[in-house]
Amino acid sequence: MISVKNLKKSFGSLEVLKDITIDILPQEVVVVIGPSGSGKSTFLRCLNLIESITDGQVLIEDVNITDKQTDINKIRTEVGMVFQQFNLFPHKTVLENITLPMITVRKWKRNAAESKALTLLEKVGLSDKADVYPDSLSGGQKQRVAIARALGMEPKVMLFDEPTSALDPEMVGEVLEVMKQLAQEGMTMVVVTHEMGFAKEVGDRVVFMDEGYVVEENKPAELFGNPQHERTQAFLSKIL
Amino acid sequence: MSDFVMIIQEMLDTIGIDFRMDIVIDYLPFFLKGTLITIAVSAAGVIMGMILGLLVGMGKVAKLWIIRFPFICYINFFRGTPLLVQLFLIHFAVMPLILSETNTIASLVVTLSLNSAAYVAEIFRAGIKSIDKGQAEAAHSLGMNKIQVMRYVVLPQAFKRMIPPLGNEFIVLLKDSSLGAIIAAPELLYWGRAATGQYYRVWEPYLTVALIYLLLTLTLTYLLNYVERRLDTE
Repeated sequence: MISVKNLKKSFGSLEVLKDITIDILPQEVVVVIGPSGSGKSTFLRCLNLIESITDGQVLIEDVNITDKQTDINKIRTEVGMVFQQFNLFPHKTVLENITLPMITVRKWKRNAAESKALTLLEKVGLSDKADVYPDSLSGGQKQRVAIARALGMEPKVMLFDEPTSALDPEMVGEVLEVMKQLAQEGMTMVVVTHEMGFAKEVGDRVVFMDEGYVVEENKPAELFGNPQHERTQAFLSKIL
Repeated sequence: MSDFVMIIQEMLDTIGIDFRMDIVIDYLPFFLKGTLITIAVSAAGVIMGMILGLLVGMGKVAKLWIIRFPFICYINFFRGTPLLVQLFLIHFAVMPLILSETNTIASLVVTLSLNSAAYVAEIFRAGIKSIDKGQAEAAHSLGMNKIQVMRYVVLPQAFKRMIPPLGNEFIVLLKDSSLGAIIAAPELLYWGRAATGQYYRVWEPYLTVALIYLLLTLTLTYLLNYVERRLDTE
């Protein structure tokens, strides 16, 4: 599904990703954990080229996204992304937030887009909020709308960049529930998160990153139960 | 003179204020004509200033230094020199190169547009910059191209934030159009000066002119507040 080869990313002289090689299989849920500043968000943002890549390759379904011939906007419709800060469009209603990319990018008719959007809102449990503006929603509701908006493009992969980190604790559950449901439906997902419970329960594989490298990766039970690397042990002892 | 004006005149006379309503009434048609020209010149200045300002604003954020530089010079020149000096330069030096006859209104419109563009450019730039980067990132992540991101996501939000500073700019421009009187463009203040010359009176013409300007700016303020409220998403 996604194949990352020797990915490197620098901001000026600061090397954030030093050498990342990883494959993500179809229908797999990969959870990326690590201390802050380890480069996990940057890694995720390189997968849809929201962040430019300094060196290395990212292949999405065998298409090299850094290739100049590649239409990155087309690739991005296949790769949904959910942000820590939701990034809903405040000047559009909830329904319009979801239909805007369908109409402008996918060139769907308004009616078709709206009925699809309503189905998605039902899925995330927010049918009654279609006509309100995002400002009147709680954090958890905003994030569920953001997930619905990304799903509207019918992506093959979903990237989650700390989707629950900006939420009040009592709202984390409702967002994780939607993500869990998505995983059960067979969506390929890459999730950067601090929710270790979610990683254990939903993740097929957990990747521990530190200082721009993938230090260790394994099945959740293995990685949490029997971490091999010193830095993984140190990190897990601090957070568990 | 109508009864109403007569009554006011009597009141003024009774309390001992030396103010001749008949001058105001006599000159009213000229003041109205001047007001229309003031409105037309300001509207033309605002529209051309906005278009030019958008271009200058985009030029100023160009990636290449060599493209950015002339726009920075433009903005610095028009913001850093007095409007009256710009008006003289354009009316007496630049316009004669382009037009064979002097046209004071054209000179005034050109000066106001060029000057306003420098301020509008900064307003546009600041407005676009004020929109959170996450908005564009989210739009890009959904597959929108640069133009779609600007058109559907960034500009509508930026525009809303630009209304108050743009409104201020419109009001400043409307008031600045009175400098046209100095090059004898027949706008509102020009007719005020004409009346002063004709009657050797200062209070009546200038106070009337001031009140008309006030009426125009207050109306504009009200309209802009209305637009701002309409665009509110609450």
